[in-house]
Amino acid sequence: MTSTWVPYLIVAAGLLFAGIYCLLAMRNLIKLFIGVEIISKAVSLIIVATGFAKKNILVAQSLAVTFIVVEVSLVATALAIIINIYRHTKSLDIRKLSRLKG
Amino acid sequence: MVFLFVAVPLVVAGVLPLLGKLSKRVLPDILSNLTFLFLLVYAATAGRQIIAGGPVSQQILWFGEPVQILLGLDGLALFMLMAIALVSLCAGIFSIDYMEHYGAKANYYALFLIMVAGMNGLVLAKDLFQVYLFLEVAAVASYALVAYGLGYEELEAAFKYLLLSVVASAFVLIGVTVLFGLTGSLGFEAVGRGLQELPAGPMAALCAALFVAGFGLKAALIPFHAWLPDAHPSAPAPISAMLSGLLIKVSGIYALTRIFFSVFGLTSLLSNLLMGLGVISAVVAALLALGQKDIKRMLAYSSISQVGYIVLGIGLGTPLGILGGLFHLFNHALAKGLLFLTSGSVQMATGTRNLDEMGGLAKRMPWTAATNLVGSLSIAGVPPLGGFWSKLVIIMALVQAGRWPYAVIAVLASVLTLWYYLLIQRKAFFGKIEERWKDIREAPFWMTAATVILALLCIGVGIFFAAVLKSWVQPAADVLAQGVTAVIPRGR
Amino acid sequence: MSVQILLLIGLVLFSVAAVLLKDLIKAAICLAAASLVLGILFFRMGAPYAGAFEISVVAGLITVLFMLTIALTKTGGDVAESKLARVAFPLFFILFLAVDVIVTKNLVQKIVALPAAPEAGAFGEVLWKQRTLDLVGQVCIIFAGVLAVLALFRKRSKDNDD
Repeated sequence: MTSTWVPYLIVAAGLLFAGIYCLLAMRNLIKLFIGVEIISKAVSLIIVATGFAKKNILVAQSLAVTFIVVEVSLVATALAIIINIYRHTKSLDIRKLSRLKG
Repeated sequence: MVFLFVAVPLVVAGVLPLLGKLSKRVLPDILSNLTFLFLLVYAATAGRQIIAGGPVSQQILWFGEPVQILLGLDGLALFMLMAIALVSLCAGIFSIDYMEHYGAKANYYALFLIMVAGMNGLVLAKDLFQVYLFLEVAAVASYALVAYGLGYEELEAAFKYLLLSVVASAFVLIGVTVLFGLTGSLGFEAVGRGLQELPAGPMAALCAALFVAGFGLKAALIPFHAWLPDAHPSAPAPISAMLSGLLIKVSGIYALTRIFFSVFGLTSLLSNLLMGLGVISAVVAALLALGQKDIKRMLAYSSISQVGYIVLGIGLGTPLGILGGLFHLFNHALAKGLLFLTSGSVQMATGTRNLDEMGGLAKRMPWTAATNLVGSLSIAGVPPLGGFWSKLVIIMALVQAGRWPYAVIAVLASVLTLWYYLLIQRKAFFGKIEERWKDIREAPFWMTAATVILALLCIGVGIFFAAVLKSWVQPAADVLAQGVTAVIPRGR
Repeated sequence: MSVQILLLIGLVLFSVAAVLLKDLIKAAICLAAASLVLGILFFRMGAPYAGAFEISVVAGLITVLFMLTIALTKTGGDVAESKLARVAFPLFFILFLAVDVIVTKNLVQKIVALPAAPEAGAFGEVLWKQRTLDLVGQVCIIFAGVLAVLALFRKRSKDNDD
């Protein structure tokens, strides 16, 4: 099974890196959340690919569907928070969010 | 029916927003607190009988169709359910008065109940993916609850918390998936058996590392702690109590312990890693707490420090260490819940959280001051309160295992803890009352009632510690200790 | 297999573009395109339901939510991203991929995985009969999301402190 697993693992790790980089380096709140979405893609890719390589695709598929539902909930909550932050500051810049001490 | 622990709060949470249209305040108050009371009574009475014949997993019939709802109730799960029910009941009672000025109470209680349902589900789950799923349920509810005040600080803290928490759960889920790929199953036992058949590989180590990072972020152990001192103080006081008292423990420590003890088995490397993280958290967070001016921020740092203690005890892995760690988890849940609730009373009365502006509040708020003192002394480890015994057990376990340096550091950290709690007492409650606080009043009835219940529990657990240890904590520790002995000798 | 590789490359490229593009709308569209590619990949791996969900929910619904948020926050003006972060990203990314390829190949090729139990039945059976608790969890999390949005957009009764 391992040889079919490898390319997917490589790509998923790459996407994970891209997402985390986006979280660390970017300053726009929406852009940060795009980073989160890229991480989610990495996770759902790795779930389905594992099932595919393992010939356990039915279980993996049901996990992936559940994961997508979780993702939607999360996105709705996060975007609601972003809109609320925007109402206060009229800006999406993370640097203006530094009133709390690190 | 074990499933009720998840289903009842879920159903009530679904009904509340509809009923909230009929009665804005009274009905949500009564209904949700009754739910918490039911969970507590049910865990205390039925739970014991259910597990009398050993741990159970239930399969449920739905409309004649057999469906697979596998939930496992054993000593450890029951112990956690009790802790969750107790603290959430007190936080719920406290909310009756405290949440008045936030508005939309039905919505608030519904989110609160969903968070409780998520934590209960996580405790009862017997499947790696379901651990992740219920972790996320509790987390999504908690983001909204942290931001509930809709003030600027709250929103910012919630967003920061959300970003870090999403990364944490992504790590956890990737770990789960890789384990699924290695062993072809998701249930705890099946994965545990599978890992023993496999030659110990770097992939299993990778999963362990992912879990340590993911759950470490959730539990706010020291290198992963950045979100907690923002998120916990910003939430409304009862929610701070829930987050600090329960959520970091359930979604961090409990999940970590469950997975490491019943799936991986605690290897010596892992044990050392956990103990190292624990000791660093205990000391560094205590030092950071000393410098805080904001009372809730100080309490938040103190949570990190106490979580370090718990991880130190559990990570040691000897039966006594596990016992001490779990007992400290329980005591800390009660005492930190109490302290956050009293800080809420103070904030409501004075409108500030800055310790320098307070002073002499004990004269005007005797109940709040007294209960706060009880909580502080319990966490700081002053006999005969609960926290003293649990810290004593942890330190005894460290000495027994011959880990002298850790034991000495643990004692020193507990001195630091006492120091900053006395700082709170001196700055906020004792001394001369300031002119501007001349006419503040004691907190309303339900808020005082909740804090008094928790304070009595802190004292009671301290006095009857032997009975509590024997009847509640020991069965829980036994579950974990069995896991250790079952897995390690087969050599990984 | 080669089609799979092409799709994977497309997924990576769209995701990288979503990080790099300055314009938020274009970035969101790239994200949607990445989801689309991912959905096709799922379909080709034998997970048609997950693929359909990925395309309709993630590429569709979530993109709509993103667009809505971008539209609602449009007047805030541009946020200056640091130049360095943008320039350094492709470098770091290629470096990481190189390390990633080497490490993963060495890690995975050596390990032995257990053979899986053969699966029988249909997708619906698996989801409804074997993983029913997942459905309960889904209900929980949908409630949580709905209530969270309701709470965050409620009318503040008294203290409107803007």
